[in-house]
Amino acid sequence: MKILATRPERCTGCGACEIECARTWFKVDDKEKSRIRIFPPAKEGQPFRIVVCNQNGACIDVCPTVALKRAKNGVVQLNKSLCVGCLSCVGFCPNQAMFYHPDYTEPFKCVACGKCVEVCPEDALYIAEVAEAPASVTDTWLQKEAI
Amino acid sequence: MTVVAGQSPTIVVNGTRELPWTQGMTVRDVLRLCNFTYSLIIVTVNGRIVPKEEFDTFPVPPEAEVRVIHLIAGG
Amino acid sequence: MSHHIEEMKAAHRLLAEFTYERYPVQRGYTNRTLYINLSDSTIASKPVSEEMKEKFTGGKGFGLWLLWHGIRDTTKWNDPENEIIISAGPIGGITTYPGTGKSLVVSLSPLTDSVMDCNVGGYFGPYLKFAGWDALEIQGKAEKDVIIFIDGDTGRITIEEAPLEPVDTHLLTDILVQMYGGDDHHARRAISTVTAGSGAEHTRFGCLNFSWYDLRRRAARVKQAGRGGIGTVFRDKRIKALVVKFSDLKADSNGPADLARLQRVGTKMHKEIHDYDDQQCGMRRHGTAYLVGIMNDYDLLPVHNFRYGSHPDGHKIDVRVWDARFTQGVPDGCWYGCTLSCSHAVDGFTLRTGPYKGQKVIVDGPEYENAAGLGANCGIFDPDYILEANFYCDTYALDTISIGTSIAFAMECYEMGIIDKRATGGLDLRFGNAEAAIEVIHQMGRGEGFGTIIGQGVRRMKKIFVEQYGADPKILQDIGMEAKGLEFSQYMPKESLAQQAGYGMASKGPQHDEAWLIFMDMVNNQIPTMEDKAEALHYFPIWRTWFGLCGLCKLPWNDIVPPDNALTDEPTKIPEHVRNYVEIFSAVTGRQVTSEDLLLMSERVYNFQRVFNLRMGFGTREHDKIPYRAQGPVTVEEYESRAERYDKQLKALGYDVEKMSTPEKVAALRAYREKQYEELMDAVYARRGWTRNGVPKVETLQRLGIDYPDVVEIVRRAGG
Ligand code: SF4
Ligand code: SF4
Ligand code: SF4
Repeated sequence: MKILATRPERCTGCGACEIECARTWFKVDDKEKSRIRIFPPAKEGQPFRIVVCNQNGACIDVCPTVALKRAKNGVVQLNKSLCVGCLSCVGFCPNQAMFYHPDYTEPFKCVACGKCVEVCPEDALYIAEVAEAPASVTDTWLQKEAI
Repeated sequence: MTVVAGQSPTIVVNGTRELPWTQGMTVRDVLRLCNFTYSLIIVTVNGRIVPKEEFDTFPVPPEAEVRVIHLIAGG
Repeated sequence: MSHHIEEMKAAHRLLAEFTYERYPVQRGYTNRTLYINLSDSTIASKPVSEEMKEKFTGGKGFGLWLLWHGIRDTTKWNDPENEIIISAGPIGGITTYPGTGKSLVVSLSPLTDSVMDCNVGGYFGPYLKFAGWDALEIQGKAEKDVIIFIDGDTGRITIEEAPLEPVDTHLLTDILVQMYGGDDHHARRAISTVTAGSGAEHTRFGCLNFSWYDLRRRAARVKQAGRGGIGTVFRDKRIKALVVKFSDLKADSNGPADLARLQRVGTKMHKEIHDYDDQQCGMRRHGTAYLVGIMNDYDLLPVHNFRYGSHPDGHKIDVRVWDARFTQGVPDGCWYGCTLSCSHAVDGFTLRTGPYKGQKVIVDGPEYENAAGLGANCGIFDPDYILEANFYCDTYALDTISIGTSIAFAMECYEMGIIDKRATGGLDLRFGNAEAAIEVIHQMGRGEGFGTIIGQGVRRMKKIFVEQYGADPKILQDIGMEAKGLEFSQYMPKESLAQQAGYGMASKGPQHDEAWLIFMDMVNNQIPTMEDKAEALHYFPIWRTWFGLCGLCKLPWNDIVPPDNALTDEPTKIPEHVRNYVEIFSAVTGRQVTSEDLLLMSERVYNFQRVFNLRMGFGTREHDKIPYRAQGPVTVEEYESRAERYDKQLKALGYDVEKMSTPEKVAALRAYREKQYEELMDAVYARRGWTRNGVPKVETLQRLGIDYPDVVEIVRRAGG
């Protein structure tokens, strides 16, 4: 499956990816609406921190409405019509890579579309092919017959 | 509390419960003696808060006032 | 939809219909309540006044207010005027913070003959509000079994005669989500039902089951409005079920004034639970069941009708056992966004007894109260029995707390020889006899045998045993664990004076939801003086009332705490979480409030409920008394089992215990403890602004702004 992978040591914090992502998905230039976030180094000498979803799927089992599911290509997709905006997934994302914005009732996350890769001047982002993630507990339930 | 000569030292837990003090006593020992099995607790020894990570090692001196506040609130 | 469900549906007969335009929720309120009278099939919309919102907030406050105006002083629980009111409160139904989907249910109780309230999960209350109604008020009695259907999607309400569906919850809920939700699982999640069961028809402690939908199991699950027999009232009104439908739930369905603020505080809380629940209470892993072992360790687990606080077999029903049985692997919440997710279930449990013997079922729970009440308190330490009993109590709609305490009482009476096999119809009601206990439960379902006597509850059993079997009323008074007519919930209060009063002075009867002070008092020794205890008995009941006004669950307040909570001034109040609630209330309603404002909201309703008790002929000092079993050792046997503890207390009082016989010691301790309890009542009444007889003073009502003429009149008559 594919994920958006990062090389933080190359990142200069220009924010081009954030703008590109917000434009792609929300048609605005607002970094607060990006699905990737760049944070300045915690200490001098350290690299920028790139926060983005790695498709590990931890959120799938937290969602009360099963709005989060792994698509065939391995990407965790959020079905907005099912989502009730509880933001449990935001609090439970181990990477803190599920984002929300008060303009929207549903949160949003990276779907590894690769748009930001194209604009990154430093080649700090790339689409990587990684091993299939193990099935979530939710998937296991859904494969069973309904009770 | 003062140590009375000739008497073996004790500690007091939560203001009422008196326990004999023993050499090398730690917070963990006190919890065990009191059968305090609940996990969400705040422990102070002579007014100082003891972090959870230090329960096994934190020494409880003779005549210490130990407080073990259980944060538990029922179903 | 299966054929037999089609058939049941076809048999429905429309009794009344009402269409309406769905009012959008504005800042937590729709500003309308729904009134239904089953005697004449009235369906009507009533406005919510600003006064009602300001003074009673919502939830239980609305329930009490509506009931107050709906009944007469003389109304009994089974009179047609009695009402069942369900309301979610202004915060109820937000999805962004854990524990925000509770329904509050209010009615006159068959156990206490006074006003009762319950706080229950499931989707009903929030969906009801989003369907357009701040509260549902049901009065009257139907002639035949009916279902009330509130379709929030189309704005249509119907009362339908429904002759064919079974009444037991596990069957009925399943049928109804299919009947009204169709085949799609996501559509079924838009349905929530309220049902009772056959046990509610034959006892006084019937509960109500509120459903939610488990999308992983693809099955409806239920939560109970357990206390006080409101399920019995429900069946007395010939209500088979309430069904609500609402399909477009979103984060802003509750119309919050400031969604951003809710999102901020909500995500912070979710993260806190993510980071700390595992190391703290483990609610996500095993819910409240973890308390069994803890209570046993601290001598607080009721054993053998509250004689003792622990049992060597306690570990057989503690958390390790339940951990191994809970099967989901994914934590469940009873409302969306509850990351504390205390709901747990055992799947594929094969029933060994009763009408559903052989069926494989989901058993919700057990929660602490079930394991403690059905199990330890009856001396039964068998997890399979507890699961079986838990399942049947839920489907028959029996309050697990009242039933546990009632069976335990009957068992003790049996062991003492007060009743024998002739009385029990041949049941060998010894402590520990699981077979007899499950048969009692089935008898309640069938409406026959000694089960229906136990189903009258402890207060009425006492009367029956005195009248029919010549029992000594004094000993029954001492060991019958009820006060105000309600059975005690499952915490041993003997060694905590504050907890005794927490139980005894609780408005609805001895339930721990008002004040749970055992640890703070007995273990932590944080409230050593009478004044300290009185302050705690003022603050905590008031604070905890607030959850019931707003549609909230108490658990996310203090069953998870921020890591630096220990360093705050008042760790037991969990100051950061109180601030969260201030945030949420302000964000939903757009009224910028303070924590004092929250307390004021509660204090009003709290005092109003006390006056309500007065109005119904209760609510004074004599009704705040508790059986001595709750205060200390009644028998020599009990004394001797903890002799060291009791001797120490007597010595400290100046007694020369060496020279005393055990009966003398029992008597001396009793005199002391009963006096202490009286002293504490004085202190608490004074702190609350009540008279020595426990009546709110007129000036207290004035200060709180609930000095309505009829309220003042009642208080005046009682010397307030
Ligand atoms: S915010 Fe939406 S996607 Fe996330 S957990 Fe809640 S319902 Fe699921
Ligand atoms: S890969 Fe696509 S969705 Fe993910 S951060 Fe980049 S632009 Fe946004
Ligand atoms: S903590 Fe439990 S009872 Fe409370 S809202 Fe969450 S799931 Fe429901």
